[in-house]
Amino acid sequence: MTFSILLAVGIGIVLGYALFPPETNNYIGYMIDFGLCLLLFFVGLDIGRQRNIFKKVKSMGLRVLLVPLMVAVGSISGAIAGGYILKLPLNEAGAVGAGFGWYSLSAIELSKHSPQLGSLAFITNVSREIIALIFIPLVAKYIGRLESIAPAGATAMDTTLPIISSATDGGVAVISFITGVILSFMVPILVPLMMAIRF
Amino acid sequence: MNILLYLIIIIMGAIIGFKDIIKPKLMDNIGRVQHYSLLFLLFIMGLKIGLDKNTIKSFGLIGFQAVLLAIFSIVFSIAAVKLVSAFVMKEKEEGQIQNDI
Repeated sequence: MTFSILLAVGIGIVLGYALFPPETNNYIGYMIDFGLCLLLFFVGLDIGRQRNIFKKVKSMGLRVLLVPLMVAVGSISGAIAGGYILKLPLNEAGAVGAGFGWYSLSAIELSKHSPQLGSLAFITNVSREIIALIFIPLVAKYIGRLESIAPAGATAMDTTLPIISSATDGGVAVISFITGVILSFMVPILVPLMMAIRF
Repeated sequence: MNILLYLIIIIMGAIIGFKDIIKPKLMDNIGRVQHYSLLFLLFIMGLKIGLDKNTIKSFGLIGFQAVLLAIFSIVFSIAAVKLVSAFVMKEKEEGQIQNDI
């Protein structure tokens, strides 16, 4: 699975760069939306076929919220640690990490401070999404099912959800969606907040 | 944000899956469709990145920084979730036992 994911994304990047005309971009948004809706429908099918999922998730109650909380704490502190090694301003590194993989929003928000920071946020969060796509099946297999939601960040509710769902089960898919939604709401709050902090 | 649209589509799928109106044989085919449409979506996502010449150009300049920040974010996130996963999942199993009784 990991290999075919890598191959599909890799061939896409190479062909997009070398072969396809720039006008292709006009249709890509629709194609992504369509593909995503189709796959999310399949995720729904998997969830519905496991009948006791809602009882299970309900029995976990508010503990489910620990997952987005820990992903948020991990993403921001990880980026700050990485920023320390790279000798970046720590609040800026933290703000880039608070994008949680949602590259468009974090890049727009941080471009207000400087174009360089905006592109760092963009490239970092694009990289996060690609790394997540490739490593989620491996994390699910060798580390743990719940942990496989962690690389995804805010994309746990859309682009990476089909992979999490196929690598785990319907129960984890439900937690993944909840995690993605909560993290997505936190991005526009936490990114400016990190920029306001002076370390 | 399309959260509401995604939620509606997932719930629609869940209702259809729950009602068991799809025959097992068709379900096998759906599994295959699911696999190839996932690869297609990933291909298109790659295409989008490759078409954006600015992204590729900036990746050459700040790619190392970006990948390092991304990897640290991911590794710390996994570690942080690992701290609580037993606690979160344990409740799930206890709930399961209660349901079984």
